This record gives sequence, structure tokens and C-alpha cells, in this order.
Amino acid sequence: MNATFTPPVRFSRLLLKVNAFLLIALLLVAAFIGLVAYKQGWFVQQTTIHFVTGNALGLTKGMPVKLHGFTVGSVSGMELAEGGVDVRLSIMSEYMPRIPRGSVAKHSREAGVVGAAVIDILPGKPGPALAQGERIDFEPSRSIAEYIDDIRRQAVPAFNELKQVLVNFKGSGEDIAVSLRSLRAEMEVLPQTHRDLKKLLVSAEKAAADFNKQSNATLASIDRAVPELTTKLGSAIESIDGAAQQLRKTGEEAQGTIQKARPMLERGESVARDAGEVFNAAKRVWPLSDSFSETVDRELPIDSFDARGKALKH
Amino acid sequence: MKALLALALLALALGITAGCGGGKPVTAPAPTSSQSQSKLADAEGRAATLMRAGDLENAARQYGEAARIAATVENADAVAANSINQSIVYQWLGRDADARDALSRVLDDPRRPFPERRRLQAELRRAIVDLALQNPVSAATFAERAAQRCAGFSCEYGATILNVQAQIALEGSHAAEAEQLASRAADRARSRNDRAEQANALRLLGKSRRLQGHAKEAIAPLEQAVAIDRDLADPRKILADLTELSLASSAAGNRDAAKDYYERALTISRALQDTRGLAEMEAQLRRP
Repeated sequence: MNATFTPPVRFSRLLLKVNAFLLIALLLVAAFIGLVAYKQGWFVQQTTIHFVTGNALGLTKGMPVKLHGFTVGSVSGMELAEGGVDVRLSIMSEYMPRIPRGSVAKHSREAGVVGAAVIDILPGKPGPALAQGERIDFEPSRSIAEYIDDIRRQAVPAFNELKQVLVNFKGSGEDIAVSLRSLRAEMEVLPQTHRDLKKLLVSAEKAAADFNKQSNATLASIDRAVPELTTKLGSAIESIDGAAQQLRKTGEEAQGTIQKARPMLERGESVARDAGEVFNAAKRVWPLSDSFSETVDRELPIDSFDARGKALKH
Repeated sequence: MKALLALALLALALGITAGCGGGKPVTAPAPTSSQSQSKLADAEGRAATLMRAGDLENAARQYGEAARIAATVENADAVAANSINQSIVYQWLGRDADARDALSRVLDDPRRPFPERRRLQAELRRAIVDLALQNPVSAATFAERAAQRCAGFSCEYGATILNVQAQIALEGSHAAEAEQLASRAADRARSRNDRAEQANALRLLGKSRRLQGHAKEAIAPLEQAVAIDRDLADPRKILADLTELSLASSAAGNRDAAKDYYERALTISRALQDTRGLAEMEAQLRRP
């Protein structure tokens, strides 16, 4: 019997395989760590600057630091210090020349009032750049209450003027109502006027007929003419009657149209006037006030120097 | 007879028909008030633009047009304001007589309800124009009328009225009275921060002192005047200040200073291309 042990073929060069596996695993881990480090900017040279704020509410470690909206670093640390919280900013060294002394760090949001909070660097006047460990001034963000207060202060004068305009317009609206009432009263009297007119014409016709009878002998030819004229007069009366009815109908339609159009006209006039007043008010309110100036100088200066005339006397 | 009756009936019918029509005769639409106001504002705006562009001839014409439009809507204030502006522009053009005539719209119409301030302005302007036209008697009359509308010279034109009266006094060779009036004018102008009239008053103060033989005392107010006028950057006034300073320095016996002021005045006069003013200034400086 042969006592020599022969290892099974299945596990040949096992040690080599295990070592190769471990080496590949180690390389993958190292590559992953390197990638993470690269993404985290561990290979980029950083310069640390800091500021002190009395209130660090809203500031967090890792918060991006932006210059002209471009990310140049992040908040690398925060700790309590004399007079508030000392906040350290890690800025990529290649961007430091763009942050001169006198720059200000401002806590703001990417979309104004809402959006992600960032530290925005407002560069100062051109000059030497901030150095490692130097302090930068800090401007805290404005609260919503401050924004609202600012808007309120600017809007109040405009609203007061708007209110005054509406009060004035209410007065003019009453005048229109009075005018419409008067117009309606006049139109209501129109049928009575028409009836009176018809009576007058009938009387005239009767008088003409009487006159015709009385002068029958001497005015035989008129006998023929008068009925003809009377017929024409009758048709004229009918035309006037039709015209008056048409006028009445038109008046009623006009009144209806005016009543329908009145709210629209009121709104239109109100809108136009309000727009003018609001525009005038807005011109006096920040931030537009500086953009407008009076263009017409009504008065030229009265200067006693002009009394010298063209001659130099004495 | 038959024809007459027919005509009478026809006339009756027509009369009734016309009565039913009841409408007013159709006429061309008159410009509304808002259209006229808009035209007035346009004319005033054009005049102001032309003034800024330095086109005085057309600016004067536009102010006249604005005054005419204002008269059509009975806007007395605008009539007066534009007439006064037109008068000022005419005077800057050297047309003193036209400047006086432009004011007649306000001064020769006592029945129109011009605001008191406009009447004061027109009277003051008339006094200025009359003085420029070498008519000190009429100037004194209008200056006095303006002064009566400005109680105690405390109105905005108090200093201007006093300065005009000081110039009238100088015309009448009343230098002492002129000095007193100019001094009051300087105080009034200072209290209202009216720097142009303050400089005018200081110039008149220096001039009146020189004419009284107090040449040394004339230097200080004249130097103040030239400093203000340089701030205001009005070359005509700087020229007048330097001429007065040259005269006062010469009278005080400081010939070097007189020569220096004279040369500065000469430079300005040449730059202004004011040959007539230059000749007159040299004539003044040659006087003992």
C-alpha cells in the first residue's frame, strides 16, 4: 500500500487563488476610497477662513459656500466662541484670489426667500486675497418678518392712495346714478308728450275740417285739397307716432345697454384711474423712485442779474 | 287763398316734425377739456425740452403757444407761467422789448383771475426787463408793486426784489441806499439758501461800496460772490464778479491783483466770445 497523500485536483493552487482574490478585493476597496476622497475634494488644496456670528441658526456643517452662485467651498466646522459661534469655511485655494480682503459672507437662500441655504461670498474691492485663517465679515440673512415689514412699509403709501381714489370714485359713481335716474324720468314722460301731440294734431285736423265746411261755397277747390293734405298729415302723424315709438324703444334699449355697460365702464374707468394712481404712487416708492424724475420744469428762474441787460455799467 | 292755407298747414306740419326732432344743430365737435389740457402739457413739455437742448428761439415760441392754449381753457395760472417763461427766454436771446411785451398778457389784464404769486412774478420780471431797457423809473414802479405783494420781503422773491431795487438805486447814483438794499438782500437770500441771489447781492454790495470810495471793503463780498458763482458755474456772473474785483483792487491801489483779476475776466470773456462785453470791460478798467 502506497502511503503518499495526493491532494485532490479540485483544490490545486488554492493559495494562489486566495491571494489573488484578496488582492483584487483590496484594490477595489482602495479605488472606492480614492474615488470618494476625490469626490470629497480631499486631493484639492483648501484654505480655511472663518467668521463669527451671534446666531448660527440655519448654518450647518457641509453647507455650500458660493461665489457669484458658483460653489467654491463648504462650511467645514462650527464651534462656540467668544461672542457667538465661530464658523470655519473651507475654500478651494485656487479661488482664493477672487476673495479679497473686505469681502463679506452672507447667509442667503438660492431662490431668494425660499430654496437651499448657502453662504454667499460678496467680494470686496480688488486687493490682496484673504489668507489662511483670516476672518471675514458676516451678514446674517433677513427673516421673513423683516421682508414682510419692508414690503408693508413700501406698500402702505400706495394702498392709502388707492383707498383715496376709490373713495373719490364712489362719489363720481353716485353722480352717474343720479344722471341715469333723471334720464329715465324724462323717458317715462315721453309717451304722455306723444299723446298730447297726437291730440293737438287731431284738433288741428278737426279745425281744418270745420273750416272746410264753413267755406265750402267759396273754396270748392280747397275741398279737394284739404282732405288730401289731411290724409298726408294723418300719414305724417302715423310716421311721427312710429318714430316716437321707435325712439322710446331705442331709448329703453339704450338704457338697458347703459345699465349693462355701466359696471363694465365703471370697472374700466376704475382700472385706468387706479393704474394711473398706482403707477404714480409706485413712482414715489422704492425701488422705482430713483428711476423716475419730473421732466417738465414749469418755471424758469427769475434772476435779478438779468436786470443788468447787455451793458456793463459804472 | 288756397295756396296760403296749404302753406300754413305745411308749415304747421314741418314745425311739429322739427319740434319732435328737438335736436341741436349739428356742429363740428369742439376740443374737450382733457384734449386741451393734454395739448397744453405737450406744449409745455416741448418748451422745456427745447430749453434743455439750448434751442431758445423755438423754446420761446413753444412757451407762447402754451400760453395761447392755456388761454383757450381759461387756465390763468398756466397763461401767466408760460408768459413769464417766454419773457425770460426772450431776454436771454437779447430781445428785451419782446420780453416786456410777453408780460403784457398778465400785467395788462387786471380782470383775469391770475394768482397773486404770478402777478408778483410778472411785476418783478417787468422791473428787471425795464431796468435792462434803461428805464429805471418804470422799473422802480413795478419793483414797488412787486414789493407790496411780498410783505416785509419775506416771500420767496424778497431777495430778488431787494436786488432789483439796489440796482435801481445804483442807476440813480444812490450808492449808499444800494449798499443798504444789497445787504438786506444778502441776508434774505442767505436765510432762504438762495445762492444765486446771494451772489447777486454780494456783487452789488461790493460795487456800491466801491462807488462810495470804500474799495478795500468791497473786496471781501466780491470774493464771496465769485466763489458762489463758480460753484453755480455761471460764466456771465463770474465775468461780472472778476470785473468788479479788478475795479475794486485797482481802486484800492493793488495793481497786481487788479491785473490778475482782469486777465482772468479777459479769458472768460474771450471764451464766451463776448466781444462787446470785452470792449466795455476794457473801457471800464481804463477809467480812473
